[in-house]
Formats: sequence, structure tokens, C-alpha cells
Amino acid sequence: MKKFGLLIVLFAMALGSHAEGVGSSDSSEYLIKAGFIYNFAKLVEWPTIAFPQPDSPIVIGILGDDPFGATLDRTVADKKIEGRAFVIKRLKWSDLKNFKDCNILFVSSSEKDHIDSIVDAVKFLPILTIGDTPGFAARGGIMNFVVEDNKVRFEVNLDAAKHADLTISSRLLTLARIVQQVRADGRKPE
Amino acid sequence: MNLKNLSIKRKLVLITMLTSGVAVVLSSAGFLVYDLISFRHSLSEDLITQAEIIGYNSAAAMAFKDESAATGTLSALRAKDDIVSAVLYTRDGKMFAQYVHSNTPQQNLPAPIPERGYHFEGSYLEVFQDVTLNGEPVGTLFLQSDMRRWNARAERYAMIFFSFVLVSGFFALLVSSKLQKLISVPILHLEDTMRMVSTTKNYEVRATKFYSDEIGRLIDGFNTMLSEIQQRDMAFHQANDELKTRTMELEGEIVRRKEMEKELVDAKLSADDANRAKSAFLANMSHELRTPLNAIIGYSEMLEEETNELGKVENVKDLQKIQGAGKHLLALINDVLDLSKIEAGRMGLHLETFNITQMVEEIVNTLHPTILKNSNTIQVRLAGELGVMQADITKVRQILFNLLSNATKFTDHGTISLDLDRSTVEGQDWIRFRVADTGIGITPKQKAKLFQEFTQADVSIARKYGGTGLGLAISYRYAHLMKGRISVESEPGRGSVFTVDIPSRVMTEAADAVQAEKIKDLPSAADQTKSNVDTILVIDDDSVVRDLMSRFLTKLGFRVVAASSGEEGLRLAKQINPFVVTLDVIMPDCDGWAVLNKLKADPELADIPVIMVTVVDNETMGFKLGASNYLLKPVDRDRLAILIQEHRVTRHSTVIAGMPSPASHRDASPETERVGSNGTAKRKKK
Repeated sequence: MKKFGLLIVLFAMALGSHAEGVGSSDSSEYLIKAGFIYNFAKLVEWPTIAFPQPDSPIVIGILGDDPFGATLDRTVADKKIEGRAFVIKRLKWSDLKNFKDCNILFVSSSEKDHIDSIVDAVKFLPILTIGDTPGFAARGGIMNFVVEDNKVRFEVNLDAAKHADLTISSRLLTLARIVQQVRADGRKPE
Repeated sequence: MNLKNLSIKRKLVLITMLTSGVAVVLSSAGFLVYDLISFRHSLSEDLITQAEIIGYNSAAAMAFKDESAATGTLSALRAKDDIVSAVLYTRDGKMFAQYVHSNTPQQNLPAPIPERGYHFEGSYLEVFQDVTLNGEPVGTLFLQSDMRRWNARAERYAMIFFSFVLVSGFFALLVSSKLQKLISVPILHLEDTMRMVSTTKNYEVRATKFYSDEIGRLIDGFNTMLSEIQQRDMAFHQANDELKTRTMELEGEIVRRKEMEKELVDAKLSADDANRAKSAFLANMSHELRTPLNAIIGYSEMLEEETNELGKVENVKDLQKIQGAGKHLLALINDVLDLSKIEAGRMGLHLETFNITQMVEEIVNTLHPTILKNSNTIQVRLAGELGVMQADITKVRQILFNLLSNATKFTDHGTISLDLDRSTVEGQDWIRFRVADTGIGITPKQKAKLFQEFTQADVSIARKYGGTGLGLAISYRYAHLMKGRISVESEPGRGSVFTVDIPSRVMTEAADAVQAEKIKDLPSAADQTKSNVDTILVIDDDSVVRDLMSRFLTKLGFRVVAASSGEEGLRLAKQINPFVVTLDVIMPDCDGWAVLNKLKADPELADIPVIMVTVVDNETMGFKLGASNYLLKPVDRDRLAILIQEHRVTRHSTVIAGMPSPASHRDASPETERVGSNGTAKRKKK
């Protein structure tokens, strides 16, 4: 009960500044994005092989500079989706091999130069990649945050999701901007 | 109009209509309410479902703060006409997105986040629904429905309801109008019949029975009652007719009776007239007959005495014949008058107390010469001391006189016996007189008619023995007048026995009064000593009477003063103070009644005895006015002599024994009777 009360307070804090717009401060923008990430987890279905145990936690990896600070931790703290808790890992480009342990991989905008590599690295793996860089989804990322009219929106690359064997809820899709993959090498998307 | 006074028809229809109407309305309304409630429930269920769908669809949009997406989701409600507004609230109560139906006027949206669930707010149905994303609340959805479906349904139901009620009412009316006849027709028929019976009074009508239900039994009962009434009516009419007939008969009878009554009244009136005429005639006759007889008898007696004194014996016999014929004629007239008086019921009783033995001795002495004449002997036997009796002495004396003289008349060389005794029968004291003879006797045939007047036992008897034929008839009537009896036993050829029974105290109302008066008079008689003991005052307007009276009384040794009128009499009475006054009635100016009145009213003269000597046969009047004796003309001189002697010698006996009656003159005079016996025999037959 106490926990629940605290949760509401936190959540309220997390969403509280929404009306004021995301651009006013990074912290409020990433508070929203952290909530989005949590909500994405609700609306995306991973294949069974993605988790070793039925109650294995959902591992969120933050690749590159962490824009959330403690926000994301607070957002998912004590939360469970279908019995799974959250674990947050902060990764660096060099920890590429550890990417595979993640279920959600947030690619910070600091890693914009490595996007293709990262996409390739997790290609065909059941990892929901979320970018924070314009064009991330078009370059093979599954989801990508964009800010339009001072509001946080997101793009979805259905092909990439399909490759990753992830099922994205239609409810999420209706809110998303669906983007086609554009290969940097000029190849047509598969 | 009062509902209770409606006709049976209308009541039945009304009852059916009301009953079915209530049933229809109640069941329809129940169904309607149930349906509307359940419909409302399902509406709210629908709205909740709607809210769940909208909430589901808008959950992601809320989670991702996509207002346009949320608005778009809400816009899908446009297809639902009844949802007038929808609002999405964030968890902190801020409006996130809203939808308002284009037709709905702008309204105040509710304060966010009240109770979850649905509720009715005015005419609106509102739902607050949590919006969750994977079980986690992200906001609240508000849906508001104007329930137009419910309203439309309610309106439609109302229409259906009313038309249903109307149609069913119509059919109920049709059916009940037909069916009510089952009940109303027999009742109306019964009512018609009843009215017809009561207005026309025709009890032959019968009500028709339709069915064998209660009304059928009612009609049966009614018909039974009618039959009974009809029978009674007929009986009543018969009785009435009979009564009418009887009444008519009675009326006829009454008319006849009235006519008869009128005839009777007329007859009575004429009879009364005739009777008055007869009475007047008789009174006149008695007066007219007695006045000359008075002269004949009086003067023949005088002549006889004078002739005797002169020694002309050869004339005495003739004079005696004249005298005898006159006395016989007088006796006849008196008998006839007495009888007619008895017949008219005008014969009164003058009661007094007298010594029986003394009376019998007087009679026997009087009759003695007659008895000797036929060589008979008489035996008188008295059973002990008989004492006194109260009766009309005159009538008792006349009865005995008649019987004894009859016995003498019809007996020759025989014995006459008179037995007297006193006995008590049935609590009453009786005196019995028994007169027996050894004469010719009476046959039974004669005996049957013996006491009837004017009936001679045989015509030859009258010729042989003479007589008026009235003696026994008068005796018979006198005995009955005194509540006594008279009977006869006889054997032809061996003699007859007449038995007379008279109560020792004869009682009549009038008699008591007379006797009381007499007793009262008793002491006053003692005062008469002071009067002039030898002088008699004779008051009469008739000079013949004055002459005869004077001569007769002077011969007896009295001094006589005569007055020819009432006034003179009164004046002389005061002057000479006589010891007795004889008074006539019919006189000019001051008649005898007036004189008597004045005499008795005068204290000095009231004690003087007054002997009425008149032809007026009204002794009652005389005694009432105070007369001491009453003699009818022609005067029985012997009787008069006795009376005067009594007044002079024994003043007490004046009152008791000196009471004369109209007929008394005959009784006391042996000569009269002797002549009467010779001339007019009371018939007896051998």
C-alpha cells in the first residue's frame, strides 16, 4: 500500500510536467521518455526465447551517455510486467557483446555514429531497439523517439520489429509513425 | 349520476371493463416498468462496455500523451447518437481529451474523478471508467448518455401501452356487452314483469325463466309468489264481491227495516192516539156513567129506607131491584175499568201493613148473608197467629172476595172453607189463602181458559148465574201484580180448590215510598183531639152529592157542613175545624187538588183527614198530595161510614186500615156484593 502510494506519487511526478511541454528541460523530456519506455514494454511482446526464465526480468540497456539520470530507474522501480521486473544496465559501445543480454536497448543520441553497427549487431535478436536520434528507425532501429511540436512522439520500423521477432501491439502502432527502412548502402529493404 | 344507481347492464359492463382494465393496465405497466428498468440496466451495461472499449482504445494514447489520437478515438463515438459527451481525464484530474456530440448544446462537464461506475444524473446516464494500460491506470474516462434510446423506447411503449389498453378495452366492451346479457336480460325481464304486475294488477302474468342459476331461482320464487298473490287476490275479490252482495242485501234490509220502522212508528203513533182517545173515552165514560148511577143508587137507597119507615112494604122490593140493578151496573163498569187499567199497565200498588186475621174476618162477615142464602156453611181455619202482612190490602181483599163469592155462587147446600197459613219458600215468606168448595167444579177444558177475561166457561152459565166474567181474570192479574200466584184444582161435580200465594212483604219502589210517608204521618194523628169531633165538612160542587152526603151522614149522627166550591170549603174548614173533610176533585175555579194542597199547607188544617170522593180515578195523585182515603163515586155509603168512624174513634188505624182504593167500595159492602152476586155471577159451572 505504501509502495503503491509512492508509485502514484512518482508517476504523477513523472507525468506532471507533460503539459508544460518537453522542451523546457531535459529532465522533463526524459521523464516522459522514461515513461514511454516503460509503456513500450507493456505493448511489445517478446518471443519466449528472449527470457531464460518465465520470471526473468526485463533488462533495459542504456547505451552511451545516460540522458535519464535516475529518472528511468525511478520509473521502473518496483514495477512488473507479467511477473517480470526491470533491470537497468548502462552500456558502452565497447560492451557490444553484452547487448545480447538486453531486452530493450536504448541507444543514446551520443551513439549516433554507431547506429548501423549497433543495428547490425542486434539484428535478428529479440531486442527492442529504441533510438533517440532522428532517422534511427529508418536505419534499421525498431523504435525511435522524435519531438514534434514540442511533443514526444515515436517511430516504428515494422520490418525491423519483424526481424527481431517482436510483436508490437496495434494500440502502440496507431500512435506511432511507421517508417520504412532506408539502407545506407542503398540496398532495398528486405 | 351516482354510480350505485346505474342500471345492472351498465354496472356489469363497468365491472367487466374496470376489472379487465385494471388487469391489463397493471400487467402492462408491470411489464413496461420491468422492461424499462432492465432496458436501462442494459443501457448502462452497454455504456460501461462502450467505456471499456473507448478506454482500451484510448489507454495507449493516454499513456503516450497522444491527445490527438485520444481525441480521434473519442470521435469514434460520433456513431453513437445517444452519447452526448465523452471526456478523458489524466490521473491527476486534468482533462486530456474530450468529445461533445455535435447536436448537444455545450454543457458543464462534471467534476473529474468522482465515483467509478455508472449513475444517473438527471436525464443522463453517466459512466466513470478507469483507463488502464496492462492493468495499470493511466486515466479516467467519462461518458455521458442522454438515454434517448431509453426515452424512445419508453415513448414507444407508452404508445403501445395506450393502444393496447384501448384495443383491449374495446374488445372487453364488445365481449362484456354481449356477456352481460346473460345476467341483465333475465333481471330486466323480471323487472319488466314486476312492473307490469304492479301497474296493471294483473297477477296472471308469469316471468320466463332463462337459466337455472340464482336468477332463475329468483324468477321461480317470484312466480310462486305471484301465484300465491293471484290466489289471494281471487279469494279477496270473491270475499269482496260476497261482502258487496251482503252489504247490498243488508242495505236493502236496512231500507226495508227503516220502512217497517216508519210504519211501526206510524202505527205506534196512531195506536197512541187511539189509546189516548180510548183513555179519554174511558175516563169520560166512567164519569158520565157514574154520575147518573150515583143518583140512581143514592136516591133508591134513600127511598127504600123511607118507604120502610112508612111501612109501604110492597114498594120496597121494587126499590131494592132498582138498587141491585144499579149496583150491578156499577160493578160491571168498575170491573171493565179495572181490567183496562191493568192491561194498560197503569194499575199501581198501594202497599200497607195490615192484620191478616182482621181482614179475613171483615170479608167473611160481609159475605155471610150471601153464604147463608145458598144454604152453605163456611169454615175458616187459621194456622196459628198469622200476624200482619204488607200488601195492597184492597187487592188482596178483592181477590178473596171474588173467590169466596164465586164459591158461594156455585155451591148449594155445601161447605165453603178458607184456610190460611204462613210458610217460607226459597227464603221468602208467603201467605197462602186456600178457598175450597163442594160445588159444581170445573172441567179441565174450562180450567185452561179460566183466568182469561170475558171468557165465560159456558154461555149458559152466564144466563144461569150471571156475572161479568171478569172476577177471576182480575184476581189473577192482582195476584201477579203483587208477585204472587193463583192456581186452581177441581173435579167436576165435587168442587174446586183455589190457592192464592202472596208474599208476606210485597215490595215495589213506589210502595216503599208510600209506606214511608204513612209511617211519618202516624204521630200527627194524635193532635186531632182538639178538632170538632162531630162535624164533617163536605166540599162538592154537585148539589145532588151534597144533598145525598148530608142526608146520609146526618142519619149516622154527624153534623154536616157543605161547601159548593173550593174557596168556600177552605174558608169553612178554618171556621169550623171539622174532624174529617170529604173533597171532590172536579170543581170550577179552585179544583179539589188545589184545595187539598192548601189544606195540607196550612199548619192548623194539615192534621184534618181528607177523604177524596170523586169520579177522577187518580188515587196516586190524591195520596201524594196528602189525602187519607180515596173513594170513587158513586159512593159506597157503608165504606164511607166505616172510614169516618175510624177517623173519629181510632186515629192510628186511620192511617193503617183506612186506606181505600178505587175498587174498595165494592169489597166492604155486603149489600153491594149481595146484589152483585145475584145479578152478575162470576161463573162457575157444574
